[in-house]
Amino acid sequence: MMTHNANVGQLLHLNLRRDWLKLALWLIGLVGLMGGAAAKFNGLYGTQTAMRSIITTLKAPAMVSLLGPFTAAQPYTVAGIYAAEMMVFMGLFVAMMNIYFAIHATRQDEDSGLVELVRAHATGRNAPLTAAILELLLLNLTAGILEALSLQVSGMHGMTTVGNWLFGAGLAAFGLMFGAFSLLWAQLADTSRDATMMSYVWLGSLFIARMATDVQAPEATWLTVYGWIEKLDIYATDQWLPVGLMLAVTVVLGVLTLAVTQNRDVGAGLLPQRKGRQGASVWLNSPLALIARLERTSTLIWLFGLGILGATYGSIFGTAGDLLTSNPTMAKLIGTAATHAANRTIVLAFTNKLAVIFVILATLPGLSTLLRINADERKGYFEALHARNVSRTRLYASIAVYGLLVAVLAFFCGMVGMIAAGQAVMPHAPTVSHLMRAFWGYVPALIVVYGLGACLVGLLPRWQSVIWIWPAYGFFSLYLGSLLDLPQWATRLTPYGWINNVPVAQVQWPTAAWMTLLGLGLILCGGCAYANRDLMVN
Amino acid sequence: MAQPVVSLQHLQKRFGHFQALKDVTLTVNAGEVFGFIGPNGAGKSTTIRTLLGILKKSGGEATIFGKDVWQDAVWIHKRLAYVPGDVYLWPNLSGGEVIDFLLKLNGQRHSAATDALIQDFALDVTKKCRTYSKGNRQKVALIAAFSTAADLYIFDEPTSGLDPLMEAVFQKHVRALKTAGKSVLLSSHILSEVERMCDRIGIIRAGEVIETGSLADMRHLSRTQIKVTTSQDPSAIQQLAAVHGFTQTGSQISFAVDSEQLNTVLTALTPLGIQQLQSTPPTLEDLFLRYYHQQEAQS
Ligand SMILES: Nc1ncnc2c1ncn2[C@@H]1O[C@H](COP(=O)(O)OP(=O)(O)O)[C@@H](O)[C@H]1O
Ligand SMILES: [Mg+2]
Repeated sequence: MMTHNANVGQLLHLNLRRDWLKLALWLIGLVGLMGGAAAKFNGLYGTQTAMRSIITTLKAPAMVSLLGPFTAAQPYTVAGIYAAEMMVFMGLFVAMMNIYFAIHATRQDEDSGLVELVRAHATGRNAPLTAAILELLLLNLTAGILEALSLQVSGMHGMTTVGNWLFGAGLAAFGLMFGAFSLLWAQLADTSRDATMMSYVWLGSLFIARMATDVQAPEATWLTVYGWIEKLDIYATDQWLPVGLMLAVTVVLGVLTLAVTQNRDVGAGLLPQRKGRQGASVWLNSPLALIARLERTSTLIWLFGLGILGATYGSIFGTAGDLLTSNPTMAKLIGTAATHAANRTIVLAFTNKLAVIFVILATLPGLSTLLRINADERKGYFEALHARNVSRTRLYASIAVYGLLVAVLAFFCGMVGMIAAGQAVMPHAPTVSHLMRAFWGYVPALIVVYGLGACLVGLLPRWQSVIWIWPAYGFFSLYLGSLLDLPQWATRLTPYGWINNVPVAQVQWPTAAWMTLLGLGLILCGGCAYANRDLMVN
Repeated sequence: MAQPVVSLQHLQKRFGHFQALKDVTLTVNAGEVFGFIGPNGAGKSTTIRTLLGILKKSGGEATIFGKDVWQDAVWIHKRLAYVPGDVYLWPNLSGGEVIDFLLKLNGQRHSAATDALIQDFALDVTKKCRTYSKGNRQKVALIAAFSTAADLYIFDEPTSGLDPLMEAVFQKHVRALKTAGKSVLLSSHILSEVERMCDRIGIIRAGEVIETGSLADMRHLSRTQIKVTTSQDPSAIQQLAAVHGFTQTGSQISFAVDSEQLNTVLTALTPLGIQQLQSTPPTLEDLFLRYYHQQEAQS
């Protein structure tokens, strides 16, 4: 065993030195979010009225689907509300962080040939994997401790020391578990790209399962794994059992991963590989066809995934827009017709939140395709292409158009899935065209963000990854922003925040028009810059 | 005289403050194989990438087929085939897919010639590019380039990943291009490789082309290293004007000889009874050394 792990310490040291900035940024982001929100909560929900109104909101099925169930019992405390609002959301971020570092420290290093170099020295067969495990352990341990400490000093009403530490420990164990899943996928997948894709498909599936069970069958949430994080019941009964479960799963996954890694070659996955084609298919004859061929699997997963996500959210329209059950006194008071109208209003407001989620998620595959312009260039994939009968303008246009198309289509799939399922389960649902206002309203925002990405690609290729800040911040500011009472300027920092409250309100066509033009202008701008600069060689 | 296929006049390229190309002047004529040699980092790839419009020149003139390489890039590329120095291919496509795709971009098809090339280079085209070695990726690009009907072929250090057997296959196909009257620009850092195939060569060093001409023109720059054992005492050889750096251990001598005087020296050696003879062709470094000695001597 020792020889399998020779020099693991050195390797870990190297990894940490290489990743320290990324690690620090993630930690600052996570801990800042936790502590910052906690410090703000007293001001937000300090009064009984504020507390009562937020609890009604949090108990509504729509909010349960977004944030997890509100299970705290009377007497309610600020800390109880905090735990209910933040748990599922923080879990998502922590899981993403772990997926990133797990893949980064294993397969990405293999793809870049780094592991080959390392393994040729006196390092053990398992050393890179063990170093990755240790890095994740260290990361989550640090994150957990810092999160707990940030809660400790926040002075939030109703918090307990046990609850604070459980919060930190819960998130750490949760993150570690998803890191361990990714390490396992990394053994199976062919490339780091595939491993990342598998990790997100897994996370997404569990998240969707959690959402569906939370609303319709809370007991079944135990089966979704993701739901364990809700069962911690922090600042109430403080359950440690889920932490134990997560750690147990992590250990099992770790043992499994170490076992299967023995049978794997560096740079290859365990899943059987099909033989490649003898020649190209007839339609692979243009840059557009090439990018479609390269992105095929990922595009299908995104379109399908957003469709499923939409349908799952849509399927709770019936429960969400059902005042007759959720608030019978009020329903009796206002009469049948008015109740239907009120139900529709609730669903429309819910649709607004969902549209924001869909549009931001849909931006991701678009941007990731767009950034290939420089990423693939730097890897040298395009060099042989440039000497062919393909102008830069054509290459740029092909990739930009494909990415935008996929993004808009993915958003469309989310909306259609939601509307179809919503119409099926909700009597007297809002009409399709009414709900589609959200689509027409948010598409321009998507185009502007995409245009910003295109400008970066053309003008500042080395800084193109900065574009991820917009969807990430947009998600945070619009998903949690209203609950955290962010000022208006703070939500207007991303184009998503420029859109009015569709589908409740009408689409503002003038705004939509100028934003679309702005976005398309930015895309053109990026194209011009790209056509007139050096390409990213080496 | 016919218009040159490639013409570079005082080409310059800066990366920020770093001047990668200071003064590159050369021409490739129709139907000739031009060797472009220089040590690593001299600016060969940068010159070629500028020729392809991948990089934008900072000064000077660069034309192919009489058209500007930046303005008319696409027009030029219809009549050109290129193999990069480091070939990287999309990991999830097969070699066969890439070859066909590259051909189709120039409106050409996978032909019998393509199949013959695949045979010649012994490439398994059904493998994913991820699994290819550097040499195999190079083969993919070479097959695509050789089966493209073009007027100008550009190869950037094409044999750096190929084994000697494949190197011979490559040379065979370059000769075929020459026979067919095509123009070829070939970069390398190994003089002997270029020597075998090229009509003319250009030597680049630190971003400057210091010499162009036929290899015969450059004979005065190159010296062949000779190691020989004779049955009679060979010390008299030292007296010949073309012999430099003479050393002797017993009956074995070693010296450098001006390449154009090789015949004279061998004639003098033969009567001494040659038992063993080893000649090492001049390397690029020898060429540079000679070149700078000459410069100093002149100034
Ligand atoms: N994109 C770039 N940015 C900065 N310097 C570069 C870039 N590309 C090449 N160089 C530098 O230009 C010089 C010439 O490089 P190159 O043309 O690749 O040499 P060669 O192909 O002759 O080995 C080298 O010193 C290299 O470091
Ligand atoms: Mg080079």
